[in-house]
Amino acid sequence: MADSEFLKHYGIQLPIAKEAKTKQEALDAAKSIGYPVVLKIVSKTILHKSDVKGVKLDIKNEYQLREAYEGMEKRLKKDIDGFIVQKMYEGHYVLVGMKRDSQFGPVIAFGLGGIFVEIMKDVSFRIAPVTEKDANEMMKEIKAYPVLEGARGGIKANAALLVKAILAVSKLSMENLDIKEIDLNPIVVNEKEAVAVDVRIIRGKDERP
Amino acid sequence: MKDLNLLFNPKSIAVIGASRDEKSVGHGILVNLLKGGMFATRHNEPFKGNVYPINPNADVILGLKCHKSIIEIKDKIDMAVIAVKAQLVPSVLKECARKQVKAVIVISSGFAEFSDEGKQLQKEITDIAKKEGIILLGPNCLGLVNTYASLNASFAPAMPPKGEIGFISQSGALADSIIDWALWKNYGFSKLVSYGNAAGIGITQLVEHMSNDKETKAIALYAESIPDGRKFMAAAKKSKKPIVVLKAGRAEKGMNAAKSHTGNLAGSYDVYKAAFRQSNVHITDNVDELFEAAQVMAYQPRLKGNSIAIVTNGGGCGVITADSCAEHGMNLAVLDEKTLSALDKSGKMHPAYSRSNPLDIVGDALPDRYDAALNAVLQQKDVHGLIMIQTLQTMTDPVENARVILNARKKFPDKPIIAVFMGGKFTRMGKLFLESNKVPVYAYPAKAVLAMKALLHKR
Repeated sequence: MADSEFLKHYGIQLPIAKEAKTKQEALDAAKSIGYPVVLKIVSKTILHKSDVKGVKLDIKNEYQLREAYEGMEKRLKKDIDGFIVQKMYEGHYVLVGMKRDSQFGPVIAFGLGGIFVEIMKDVSFRIAPVTEKDANEMMKEIKAYPVLEGARGGIKANAALLVKAILAVSKLSMENLDIKEIDLNPIVVNEKEAVAVDVRIIRGKDERP
Repeated sequence: MKDLNLLFNPKSIAVIGASRDEKSVGHGILVNLLKGGMFATRHNEPFKGNVYPINPNADVILGLKCHKSIIEIKDKIDMAVIAVKAQLVPSVLKECARKQVKAVIVISSGFAEFSDEGKQLQKEITDIAKKEGIILLGPNCLGLVNTYASLNASFAPAMPPKGEIGFISQSGALADSIIDWALWKNYGFSKLVSYGNAAGIGITQLVEHMSNDKETKAIALYAESIPDGRKFMAAAKKSKKPIVVLKAGRAEKGMNAAKSHTGNLAGSYDVYKAAFRQSNVHITDNVDELFEAAQVMAYQPRLKGNSIAIVTNGGGCGVITADSCAEHGMNLAVLDEKTLSALDKSGKMHPAYSRSNPLDIVGDALPDRYDAALNAVLQQKDVHGLIMIQTLQTMTDPVENARVILNARKKFPDKPIIAVFMGGKFTRMGKLFLESNKVPVYAYPAKAVLAMKALLHKR
């Protein structure tokens, strides 16, 4: 099962996206998805795409897309296996993830996501399986929770969908022992949807539950 | 689950590696069994069952006939305490098995904590114990104390006072010092056990045992690592007794190279904290807090809701306590009309009393004013617990004030009351009176607030 099918099976919402091997395919993809879009590189060698400017957000038109595409191609040529054109989602960036601990098993993380996640370290943890009550507490525990609630006229995050995402990661961690680590980072969340726009799954041998 | 009763309540004990050398561990253990402790205290009690020293090179030790091997003993032996060189432990353990000894404490070090050869030895004794169905505590441990069985099967300096805290410690040396400290601070223990390398039983089985132990009212844990984390969580969740933990080894020694953000974010102590929290284990940051929390949990009822009251005869101390409450996430109840009217009608209040929480009943408060205040405040439904503060003024009577607290405890048995008697010398008698009646009393407000917080986690 491809990762996208696997994640959908657990109820994790993924973005509308298309792969592109050429500039023309990227332009066609953007046209059918509708601007604004996000352009991302596909690479087996690069771990953190943002660090090498391999992600361009909020591309509003064909001109900006060409520019972004050409820039990445020129800079990262040898590491690029292709491109993905994704619908641009508006909302807060959160992270839901899992790390399999050798003593306690799957540890589920929830926190403020995006590129600053390891700098801000605004994260809460629970050992899987987490209950709905745990998931709710995890959300409320982080310092940025008022931001998710729409503080100062901001976007209000759909809490029920975030709880659903946390429970999904807990469930898939309990059921798939080959997954060592997983990041849904970021999940872009607004009032209506919570979309895992970037996902990393690391599989390995640890067979503990 | 293996029944650990024989480990804590043996009728007869062999000390293998008993020695005439007063500075040796084998000598210390024998003295502890025979007298209760090497350092004399009124809490020491000699073990009431039979004790058999084993040493191939001695005939008599401390007036007891010495045997060359455990096999030579005719009587039944329930437990063996082993303090011989690590290399000799496997063969000694096999002899114990032949003698049908069911519980063994291996004090000796030089096992997995020491070398690869030690690791191999540890595996050997683990296998022997498993095959023969022997309960194995250690190796590399202090041993155990059961104050209710007059049993000091350890090389700890003395027996701690009898009490209600069951202490389970990975470290032996820490447990030693805790005993000295407990003697000084008057902390009581039901059982004290150090499990060292946990080759046989470890923290999880000990928690399960203490959960069912009738003398233990609260369990205090010191752990550096919990390898069977998920089993521990299950045992802790099921425990009938409240559990307090001090987890050491919290500093990250360079994160392992995780590939994901989550992997990098989830430090080892974060994982432990999550696990403790989910299994209702109260986390403390230092040794003081560990035992203060354990004691308050053993002594006082659960705090049923997060809203408490402060009654004080000093405004400043009330403010300090309120600050501390805010810092630790403890909420102060709003005193309602009924409570204020009860205070007014009592006829005991100073005209300038604060009429709000913290309730400042003013410096010249005599015991009868405290009594009126405590009764009025504690009858309010959403006041789930109370911190009573006494500062020492010319007319203050610490012992009578202590009595007022005890009366309130009787009248409101479901609501915890914690005392802060600020000061030292002249408040001492009041403090002793409270302590001997199981009311925690501190010299500083912050400690009282932390203790109250611990009661939120009591089950």
